[in-house]
Amino acid sequence: MQRRSSSRMGVGLVMLGLAWLAGGVAVAWASGTGVSDRHPVYVGVSVCAGCHGDQKAGHQFSKWRVSKHAAAYAALWSPQAKAIARVSGIPEEPQKSRMCLGCHATAADAEGWEREEGFRIGDGVQCERCHGAGSEYGTAEVMRDRERALRAGLMMPDERACMLCHNVKGSHVAVLGSADFAYAPAVEKIAHPVPAGTRGQAVSPRHPTPARGGAGSGADPPGGAGTASNSVDEQRYTGVAVCGGCHDGPQMGYQFSRWRVSRHARAFAVLGTAAGCEMARREGVSGDPQNETKCLRCHATAAGEDGRRLEKGFCVREGVQCESCHGAGSAYWPEAIMRDRQAARRSGLVLPTPESCRACHENAHGKAFDAAAAWVMIAHPTRLPQAKAGLRYRTPVNLALSPDGRELYVACEAADAVLVVDAATGAVLAEVATGGQPMDVAFHPDGTRAYVTLRLDDTLAVIDTRSRAVTRVVAVGDEPHGVLTDAAGNSVYVLNTWSDTISVIDAGVQREAKRLAASRSPWSLALSPDGKVLAATNALSRFVPFRAPPVSEITLLDAERGTVQARVAVPGANLMQGIAWHPSGDFALVTLNRTKSLVPMTRLVQGWTITNGLGILWRDGRVDQVLLDEPDQSFPDAADVACTPDGRYALVTSSGSDRVAVVDVAKLLELLQRATPAEREHVLPNHMGKATEFVVKHIPTPASPRGIICAPDGKRAYVANALDDSLTVIDLGRLEAVGRIDLGGPREITKVRYGERLFHSADITFRRQFSCHSCHPDGHVDGVTYDIEPDGIGVSPVDNRTLRGILDTAPFKWEGTNPSLQRQCGARLAVFFTRIDPFTPEELAAVDAYICTIPRPPNRYRAVGAELTPAQRRGKLLFEREAGNDGRLIPVENRCATCHPVPLYTDRTQRDVGTRMWLDRTGKFDVPHLNNIYDSAPYLHNGIAETLEEIWTRFNPHDTHGVTNDMTKDQLNDLIEYLKTL
Amino acid sequence: MLRATQAGSGLVVSVLLLSGVVASAADPAATPGISAGQTAPAATPATGDPGLPFVYRRWEQFTTATGLPNDHVFAVRVHGDSVWIGTEDGLACLDKKSRKIKAWREQDGLPWRVISGIDVHPRTGEVWLGMFGGGLARFSGGRFDHWHQLNSGLVNDVVYGVAVENDNIWAATTAGASRYNTVTGEWSIFTEKNAPMEEIWNYGVCYADGYVYLGVWGSGVLEYDVQRGTWKDYLDPDGEMEIDLYRDDGIVHVITTGVSYIEKTLWVSTYFGACRYDGRHWRGFFSHECGVPSDFHNAVRARSANEAWYATDKGLGALADFATDTWVTYTSDHTAMKGKAVVKRGKQLLKEIEMPLSLPHDYALAVDFDGPDVWVGTSKGVGHAIGDGYYRGLRAAGAEAERGP
Repeated sequence: MQRRSSSRMGVGLVMLGLAWLAGGVAVAWASGTGVSDRHPVYVGVSVCAGCHGDQKAGHQFSKWRVSKHAAAYAALWSPQAKAIARVSGIPEEPQKSRMCLGCHATAADAEGWEREEGFRIGDGVQCERCHGAGSEYGTAEVMRDRERALRAGLMMPDERACMLCHNVKGSHVAVLGSADFAYAPAVEKIAHPVPAGTRGQAVSPRHPTPARGGAGSGADPPGGAGTASNSVDEQRYTGVAVCGGCHDGPQMGYQFSRWRVSRHARAFAVLGTAAGCEMARREGVSGDPQNETKCLRCHATAAGEDGRRLEKGFCVREGVQCESCHGAGSAYWPEAIMRDRQAARRSGLVLPTPESCRACHENAHGKAFDAAAAWVMIAHPTRLPQAKAGLRYRTPVNLALSPDGRELYVACEAADAVLVVDAATGAVLAEVATGGQPMDVAFHPDGTRAYVTLRLDDTLAVIDTRSRAVTRVVAVGDEPHGVLTDAAGNSVYVLNTWSDTISVIDAGVQREAKRLAASRSPWSLALSPDGKVLAATNALSRFVPFRAPPVSEITLLDAERGTVQARVAVPGANLMQGIAWHPSGDFALVTLNRTKSLVPMTRLVQGWTITNGLGILWRDGRVDQVLLDEPDQSFPDAADVACTPDGRYALVTSSGSDRVAVVDVAKLLELLQRATPAEREHVLPNHMGKATEFVVKHIPTPASPRGIICAPDGKRAYVANALDDSLTVIDLGRLEAVGRIDLGGPREITKVRYGERLFHSADITFRRQFSCHSCHPDGHVDGVTYDIEPDGIGVSPVDNRTLRGILDTAPFKWEGTNPSLQRQCGARLAVFFTRIDPFTPEELAAVDAYICTIPRPPNRYRAVGAELTPAQRRGKLLFEREAGNDGRLIPVENRCATCHPVPLYTDRTQRDVGTRMWLDRTGKFDVPHLNNIYDSAPYLHNGIAETLEEIWTRFNPHDTHGVTNDMTKDQLNDLIEYLKTL
Repeated sequence: MLRATQAGSGLVVSVLLLSGVVASAADPAATPGISAGQTAPAATPATGDPGLPFVYRRWEQFTTATGLPNDHVFAVRVHGDSVWIGTEDGLACLDKKSRKIKAWREQDGLPWRVISGIDVHPRTGEVWLGMFGGGLARFSGGRFDHWHQLNSGLVNDVVYGVAVENDNIWAATTAGASRYNTVTGEWSIFTEKNAPMEEIWNYGVCYADGYVYLGVWGSGVLEYDVQRGTWKDYLDPDGEMEIDLYRDDGIVHVITTGVSYIEKTLWVSTYFGACRYDGRHWRGFFSHECGVPSDFHNAVRARSANEAWYATDKGLGALADFATDTWVTYTSDHTAMKGKAVVKRGKQLLKEIEMPLSLPHDYALAVDFDGPDVWVGTSKGVGHAIGDGYYRGLRAAGAEAERGP
């Protein structure tokens, strides 16, 4: 076996060298450390097969080829794989998803330069998935010396390594139905020992390997790909990899993948199995059947052909390949020819018939052959049968009325569209496809354009209201939500919830002009009646000292200058979302909740934990707070507020209790004026029951009312009922719901939709104080550290964790005590959170089903398929490093990649990383997954680290949470840049 | 005497030499960020007496007595109606309209007491603070956000200077330069590992026209091309630490304290003299041969390619007209409670003007321009030079003399 070298590898090593130079990444040299000085790259299974393929090697390659490991990538084409992705909240194609590929392929997290030319991701779980990247140990010389090979990077996997992927995954259980994986029999099944007596013997590859590029000894130099020839006999075999280059993926019906999981693909390999050898023996073959033309004639492509007819890259081990049936492809494989069927046929493309199969299959090994049935079995059309489209709900979350008052534009999150509704008749006039997750909509003052925030796409869509089409898409920050223009329409303000910024768009050129700093998770906007001030709510509290109550912010913008004018702190408040100015301009009303996160959640029965209310922001920056809760029934998840044009009433939606509260503004102001300053500061913000003095009515709505607006004529209000796919029309004179506008969503309520409703409903909570959504708004986090269990005030505080993409990250809870979502959301929820009867089994199943589908947004720091930046690349080396800057080996258990392995970046264990505080019962905590870690601050089990940096600069003084104290500041920066890409 | 004329191409093609002054000829390709041809004064008389510069005779002073949190002023930056003042114990903002000073100390939320550098984002109005020992802060809408070694990627908490470059914030620190991308959140560090930084003690930083300049203690000036991501260094070619062996051969000294870049001209202050670079020619300024009051410079701020102000330990040296080497030096007499302006052309004393008030103290640390006005930070407060009638370059002596104090 020769030592591998390739131009790509060379480039990679040069890049690595540059990375070291630039970033000071430590290199652990071979001397004394046992760590290789070269960054290993992946060579691919075909290289391994060069020595590990034949009988002396125990047909190891063949054993792998017939295993599920070999078909692991290809299996991702299946409808089951898509279903698993769907229930895992993975929006992309499974064969493109880093999450899926992490266990279904090898080197999925590697960059292109870390893979040699012959490496193919489509080969699934290859040798190097378990044994490590092979460039440094993969020579016969090194491999003969086990110790040397180990030093060069050869890994011998153990049970833990296998279980990183084979640990039970809820997503797979949900679709495939089985959770069984027994390690011992599985290992026995894939065992691939070298037969006794042959270990250490030099072996010579008989069959050509694609990576080496030759067709074996004596082969002519390969000709140019696609070299035309008029004689079919002169065509050369290119190998299935060439075909797979085009014939895979959804556009081509996953043809390659479907072949890979077929028996044809395993036909050569089965000759190396015990059964294959026995069959051959019965057929009179005495030698290795993989070397017998008699067997190969039907078990491989191009068997017996002169080596000169094998193109570079052709590999007989691939079994019965495309060219067995379609003819040698050297002349017809180029896409330009294949797109012309006649030209392809002239160039040698054969179109087989069922009869073509009989040559090999008729009475093969005494078995009957049903050609017609077999033909159906191997059919591989480019167009797959149209899968039944899943139900697509509307989920209207916010709405706006056109300046002329005639049309409602409704942002429908689940439909990826804005619906245009006739405000007078309620008829749906149009559906404007916008893109991912429209969240809010606002009109230009002249009514010619509507602006829509697209949370999934990180963009602002501009709709031409005449053509009712998106005419421009403007890039903004992460997960935009609120949107509004200034009075003149010169600027469009967009609130970016997860980059904590405000994009100011020049409405003329429709480009971002600047980006302002918000607080945390800016949510909604309101323009003061005089047009001078834009007020923006921030859903999450500012970072506060450990174990301190939240402090949220209303950000006031100078609407003329487009700058931040003031920041009003609102103590004790969290999840400030809706906002509306009173027509007088004297104050604005803000929805909020008040989370007593340091009081054990079990105190819920005393009326504590989460209360819900309104903030009154005065023009001079003062803020009053009152609760909308009543002692016997709370007002959970106050989502939005709107004032009637006459200023008499304010209407507030409660998405957790499906109601709209009607606030008599005069009575509210009177209450405030009656109170002393101390009462306004300390009593009213926490006084349950005061709402009866100013809430004059509750108007019931269908499920989950969110956005609300009042028509300028003062006659009607409209409410977006997110989980009912409808709008409620409220007669402002009668203060009654007078109509329901059906937005045309599916009638059927699926299990997931049912679960979504339960998730957003406070009916499960004692006196309806909160819903799951209260602490996990839209499935994510509220940024608060909670005391949950009744072990004392503020004891064992735990950081709230995201629900995005968590299905396969069990166990749950920071102490890892809940092995499944069923347990987490079932009895435990009732005991510690809701304090009433738990969900019924049906409800629980539905809630779990919904939670599993909460998607994880695309990573903002590394797009799918994108290469790493230099800093990220340096950080990856640090993440994977085995030695510190001083060259000393880092114990395996203290390396980043040990506890945070791909693809979830958690090994799903509990570990003590030295973060225990006097408040904690234990020092062992669940290893959190790191996917999109950048959007779930604060960090560590108790949320004590505000930034990723603090995890190591402040809370890892003894290198118990990875070895980091030797790192220079630029190295830590690089590490963090990489972490943000996971 | 130096005279520049302009050729049809728009480039300066001829220079006159007098008193050892060397001016520039243009060669824009000589240096990416800096090019010659920007030396023509705005109002140099055509012949005869070149005239006199504008002299700031009206001053006002701001000290603790008038509301500053501390008299030791390290940084001054003007933005709109606000004059931001960084002191040894707090941040202050003077509202020019109301003439009221608002101050923030640590008890008011200021993350660190010593404010050593200030810059204002031109689009957002956010005030960025470099804090000596405290890292970096943003002041926006009354809220301070704080980045330091422990909670961010900032390389070091001893920040001398800060500059806004597009969406990036640069911090000159005692352990290298840090760049913070306010959109992506990425921190980059520039030290000897990835920049031609022989020493890593960064004193000053400025940004203009696509280039970031770092003044580095012991490493001269570093130029960073934002578009290309490349570095260029400006070092003292003679390599002498104590003397400027070959004059005008490059930067006068590598212990650089300040940089200012405008109209494709780089102005540099060091602890051992000052200099100017127009892309082709260097020109050194020393107290023994021109009007600059001292060779110990704390900072420099340029108004144009023809005018720059040096904050020194012995007063304020304003090179009012580079083309004629005409300086105005402002000092104060604490005992007599008077100020003085001295006008020199090269070594030649042209005029001395007694003033009732000048800068609060001769130990000047910071300068900023505000239209015709100038704001100066000193070790005894802030001086405000009121520039009513200000003119660029020179005017005939008679015309200048007509202006009273």
